[in-house]
Amino acid sequence: MTLDTVRKIARDLLERNTVKGVLGLAADDAGVMPRVFDTPNAVAVLVLEPKWVLAKITMTVMAREPDDYRLAVVCRGCDERALIELGKRNRIDPGRLHLIGVACSEAQAKQCLCQRPWPSRVDAGEKAVGADLSQSETIRQYLGADRPVRLERWREAFSRCIKCYGCRNACPVCACDTCKLEQDVWAKQGEIAPDMLTFHLMRSMHVADACVACGACQDACPVGIPLLLLQLPMRNVLRRSYNYEAGTETERLSPLLSNYIDEPSHGISIPNWTDSLEEKPWDLIS
Amino acid sequence: MKACTTEKTLQERTRGTAGPKILVFSCRWCSGIGADDAGRKRLSMPTGFRCVEVECIASIDPDIILKAFSEGAEGVAVFGCHLGGCRYNRANHAAAKRMAMAATLLETVGIGAGRLLTSFGTAHEGYQFAELMRRFSQRIETLPTLTRKEARDWRLGG
Amino acid sequence: MGPDFVKTICPYCGTGCGLILAVRDGRVVGCSPDRGHPVSKGALCIKGWTAGEFIHHPERLTAPLLKKDGRFHEISWDEAIDLLVARLRETVGRYGPRAVGGLCSARCTNEENYLFQKLIRIGLGSNNVDHCARLCHGPTVAAMGHALGSGAMTNPIADFAGTNFILAVGSNAAETFPVAMGELYRAREKGAQLVVIDPRTTEMAKNADLHLPLQPGTDIPLLSGMMHHILSSGLENRAFIEQRTEGFSELAAYLDAWPPERAAQICGVAPELIRHVAEAYAQAPSAMIVFCMGITQHACGTANVYAVCDLALLCGQVGRPHAGICPLRGQCNVQGACDMGGLPDVLPGYQKVEDDWVRMRFEAHWGAALPKEAGMTVTAAMAADDSPIRAAYVMGENPVMSDPDSRHTIEFLENLDFLVVQDIFHTDTTRLANLVLPAACFAEKEGTFTNTERRVQRLRKAVQPPGSALDDLTILCRVGRAMGLDFNYADSAVVMDEIASLTPSYGGICYRRLQYKGLHWPCTDFDHPGTAVLHQKRFSRGRGLFVVPEYRPPQEAPDEHYPLVLITGRMFCHYHTGTMTRRSPSLHREVDKPFVEVNPKDAERRGISDGDRIRVETRRGAISTTARVVPKVAEGAIFAAFHFHEAPADALTNNALDPVSNVPEFKACAAEIARESACPDR
Repeated sequence: MTLDTVRKIARDLLERNTVKGVLGLAADDAGVMPRVFDTPNAVAVLVLEPKWVLAKITMTVMAREPDDYRLAVVCRGCDERALIELGKRNRIDPGRLHLIGVACSEAQAKQCLCQRPWPSRVDAGEKAVGADLSQSETIRQYLGADRPVRLERWREAFSRCIKCYGCRNACPVCACDTCKLEQDVWAKQGEIAPDMLTFHLMRSMHVADACVACGACQDACPVGIPLLLLQLPMRNVLRRSYNYEAGTETERLSPLLSNYIDEPSHGISIPNWTDSLEEKPWDLIS
Repeated sequence: MKACTTEKTLQERTRGTAGPKILVFSCRWCSGIGADDAGRKRLSMPTGFRCVEVECIASIDPDIILKAFSEGAEGVAVFGCHLGGCRYNRANHAAAKRMAMAATLLETVGIGAGRLLTSFGTAHEGYQFAELMRRFSQRIETLPTLTRKEARDWRLGG
Repeated sequence: MGPDFVKTICPYCGTGCGLILAVRDGRVVGCSPDRGHPVSKGALCIKGWTAGEFIHHPERLTAPLLKKDGRFHEISWDEAIDLLVARLRETVGRYGPRAVGGLCSARCTNEENYLFQKLIRIGLGSNNVDHCARLCHGPTVAAMGHALGSGAMTNPIADFAGTNFILAVGSNAAETFPVAMGELYRAREKGAQLVVIDPRTTEMAKNADLHLPLQPGTDIPLLSGMMHHILSSGLENRAFIEQRTEGFSELAAYLDAWPPERAAQICGVAPELIRHVAEAYAQAPSAMIVFCMGITQHACGTANVYAVCDLALLCGQVGRPHAGICPLRGQCNVQGACDMGGLPDVLPGYQKVEDDWVRMRFEAHWGAALPKEAGMTVTAAMAADDSPIRAAYVMGENPVMSDPDSRHTIEFLENLDFLVVQDIFHTDTTRLANLVLPAACFAEKEGTFTNTERRVQRLRKAVQPPGSALDDLTILCRVGRAMGLDFNYADSAVVMDEIASLTPSYGGICYRRLQYKGLHWPCTDFDHPGTAVLHQKRFSRGRGLFVVPEYRPPQEAPDEHYPLVLITGRMFCHYHTGTMTRRSPSLHREVDKPFVEVNPKDAERRGISDGDRIRVETRRGAISTTARVVPKVAEGAIFAAFHFHEAPADALTNNALDPVSNVPEFKACAAEIARESACPDR
C-alpha cells in the first residue's frame, strides 16, 4: 500500500540519519496538518491525504536551518516541480532535500486537471494516466467558448473576488520578497473586487513561466474562480514554442529570460515575422 | 509625437479623437522615428492614439500593458527595432517573447490577443507606421467591447 | 528541528475558518488555511491569512498597569488582582450589586465567558453582565428566541450549496463573511437565485441576481408587502402553518394593511419587484434567509427580525435542510458568549435568571446564592441619565469605539469610580481605565469558540503570551480565588465539563469529542452527534410563533440641518474597532486611513471630489475624514466604516435603542458633510 511504503521510507531515512526531518502530513485528533517528523516513531501518524502542496512550507522550514540540515519531503509530482522551480530561483537548495516521490491516483489527476500526476522518480504509488482535458466542462466554458462569452464568464468569476490573496499566498512558486500586487501604483489597494487586469492578470503573468499547474491557487480560492485555467494556455505556448514545461528540468531556465539564439521558438533562431497583425486561430486548450 | 505627460490620463488626452484609444510604446531608435515621420507627413490614420517613447522596448513588460488596459486603453501597440538589430544586445527578443505570453493571457480571458500589437523593425517609414495603425484600429473594432455594463461595477477602463 | 504546525480557529468573524499556525522558537512565523476544515475547506479571507501578524506586535500589553496621576505604571499580578477585588467589592458594599457591571468578550473562549459571568454573578452578586452582542445580534437572540425558541442560525453553512433561493437582508457577506460568501456563490453556480436587500450597492449586491435598494430602515414595510402578496396569491404554506405554527390570524390581520403599493411608497422599491421576490421566495423548493446588521442595528431591530421569522414561517422555509433562517454572527465567539450566559437576563444555555427553578439548579451546582432580578444591558446602563453603574470590569471589549455616541461613552466611563479593562493591546477604552490587565490572544490559549452555525470548535495553543500576560481563564481563576470562590480549574477542558453539566445544549460536548470537526449544539449527551439543522420535527418552543412586527422609522430622520442618512458598517480588510487589524502590516497597507462613502450627486452639490478631506457632523459630534465618492451609496446617504480610531464613526452615532433588545441604531442617524480641503494627492 502506498501509505505503508511512504511510512517505511520515511522511517528508514530517519533511522539511518540520512535526513534530520521528514516533511509530510500528520493525522491526529486535531485532524490533518503538515508536520516535520523528526523521529522514526513519529512517522506512525503520517498520512497522504488530503492534497496539500508542501513546497512553500519546505521553503519556510529550510529558511532557518543550518547548512547541514537535510530534509525529506513527501512529494507529489506538482510539489517536486515546484521545488525544482524554487531551486532554479535560489529560494531553496535542492541539494539539501531528499524527495519521497508519490504518484497520484487517476481520480486525483482528474480532480486537479493534471497531465503529469507523478514525480520524476516514483517511490510509492502507481503512475496514473493524466486527466483528459477535453472532458472538463469548466475548461470548455472558460477556455473553449467564443471570445465574448469567455470575457463575460471570466469577468463574472473575477467579480466575486474578495481579495484574500489566497491565490498568491498558496502558490508554491510565488515567492518574491516584495510583491507588486501590494503596491498601490500597480494594483489599487483597499477595494474589492480588485481590478481584473492589474490584480489577477498581473499575478498570472508573473508566474506564467514558473507555474507547475498544481492548482493550489484554485484550491485556496474561497469563491471558486478557476485560476488554474488562467495558466494553462500560457503553459501550452511554452510547451509548443520552446518544448519547456516548468519544473521538469533542473538546470534549464525559463526561455522567456533569454533571446531567440539561446532559446529559439519552434526551433527558429530569429523569427522572420515583423508584426502580430496576422490573426491566427487560437486553440487555448491543447 | 510628444510623449504623454503623467498628469493626463489616456482618457483625457484622447477625448474627441477618432478611433479606438491606443497607447503606443515605441523605442526611439527605429519605430519612434517612423511614428514621427508619419506625423510630419500628415498621413491618414486614426487619431485615437498617443505615444510613449522609451530607450528600448524591452523595458515595457506585460505589467505595463495590463496597466494601460486598466487605465482605459482599448489597444496597446509595442514597437521595437527589427529582431536582428537591437542595439542593446537582443533585448528586443525578450520583449517579443513576453509580449507573446501577454497576448496569450489577454486571449484567454476574452479581451483578445488582437488588442496587443507587437511590431519589430517597423518603420523607418512613416507609411508603414500609418498602415499598422489603420489595420490595428480595424482589428480592435472586431473584438468584444471592453466597456462596463451598467449593472456591474466591474472596472476595466475606469 | 523544523517548525511546529498548530491547528486553531481564526479569531476574526463568525465563519470560524480553520487555521494552521507555523511556530518556530516560540514565535508564530506563518499562517495558512487548514485544507481539511469542514467549513473553510482550505480557504481564508485576507484577515484569516494575516491573523498571525499582530500576535508579536511590540505594543502587546505585557504587564498589569495601574493609573496614577494620569499615567500608567507597571504593577505585579498580585497587587493588581487584590486591588481589583477590593475596589469592586467596595463598590458593591457601598452601592449594592447593581452598581457593578461586567462586559465579557465575544473574542474570548466559551470557557472564559462562562467563568466571567459566574464570577460577576456569585462573586459580586450582580446580573449586570453583557457584551457586544448587545450591539449586533441582540435582536436576533430576543426575536428568534421568542418566535422559534432558539436565537441561533437554524442551518449549517454547508446548507447554502444545496438551496434554491437565498434572500439576503441587510448583509454584506462578501466583505464581512467572505469565506461563507463562497458557499453562497457555490449555491448560485448550482442555479440558486440570490436576492439582496440593502440600501447600498455592496459587493454582495453587485454579484446578486437582483438587488432591492430600499430606503434605510424600511425593512418591515418591504417584508410586510412581500408577505401580503404571498397571502393574497395563496402562496403561503398552509400545511406548515396549520401543523407547526401559532398566531397566524393576528399576522394575517396585520398584513391586510400592507399591500405592496403601500410598502413601495415607504421603502422605495417598486411594487412589481416586491411581488416578484415574494413569489420567488415562496415558491422555491428550498430557500434560506440570510440577515445581519442591516436589519438588527435599528431602533426597531427586534421587530425587523420578527418580520424575517414571519416570512420564513409563512412559507414553511425553515426546519429542514437547505431551508432556514441564518443570522450571520459577527465575532468569532459571539454565539458562544451568548450561549455561556454573558447576558443580563439569562444564565448559560439561555436559562432565565428570573426563573426560580433555574436559579435553584445553578445555586446547587455553584454553591452560592444568585441574584434574582435580571441585570441591565450595557447600552441601557450607559444611556441612562442616572445610571446606577459605578464600577465596571471589561474583558476584551472596546466600548469607546464600538458603542454609540462615543462622547457619551467616554463620559460614562470617566465618571466610574473604578474601571478595569483586560485586553491584548491598548485601546481607546484601556486609556480610560484605572487598571489594565494584559491578556492572551487566540494563539496563546486553549479553549473553544462557537461559530455562527453553532459549531463548537477547539482552539489550540501555539505560543506563550508575551511578558507576564496571562490567558483570560487564568486571570479569572485568580480573581475568583481572590474573591473566595472555588475557581480551581486545572485547564479549559475541565471548565467545559462543568459547562456541559449545566447547559443542556452543550451537554454532550467535551474536548475528546470535539476533535477537528467540532460539534453543532444542541448536543445533549455524549452519544449525541450534534444538530446541524434545527427545528426539524418541532420548534424549540413547540410551535413557531407569528409575531406582528411593529414598524418604526429610524429615530433620527434627516432634516434641513442634517439632511443625510449616516449608515455605519464594516469593510473587508479591517475588523471592527481595528485593535488587531490596524496593527497587522498587510491589512494596514491595504487601507490605512479612514474614509466615508459619499454619493456623487451629494458630493457635487457640496463641491466635494474623491479624495478630499471632509468634515462629517451629527448632533453627537464631528470627525474629519476622507471622502470616497462612489455611486455605491445611494443619494441622500453616506457610509462610514467604524474601524478607525482617528476618525471614529461612533463619535457620530446615535444611542437610540431598540426597546426590547437595547441594540443601538447604528444604521441610521442624521448627518451633514462639508469639504475641508482638497485631496492631498493632487
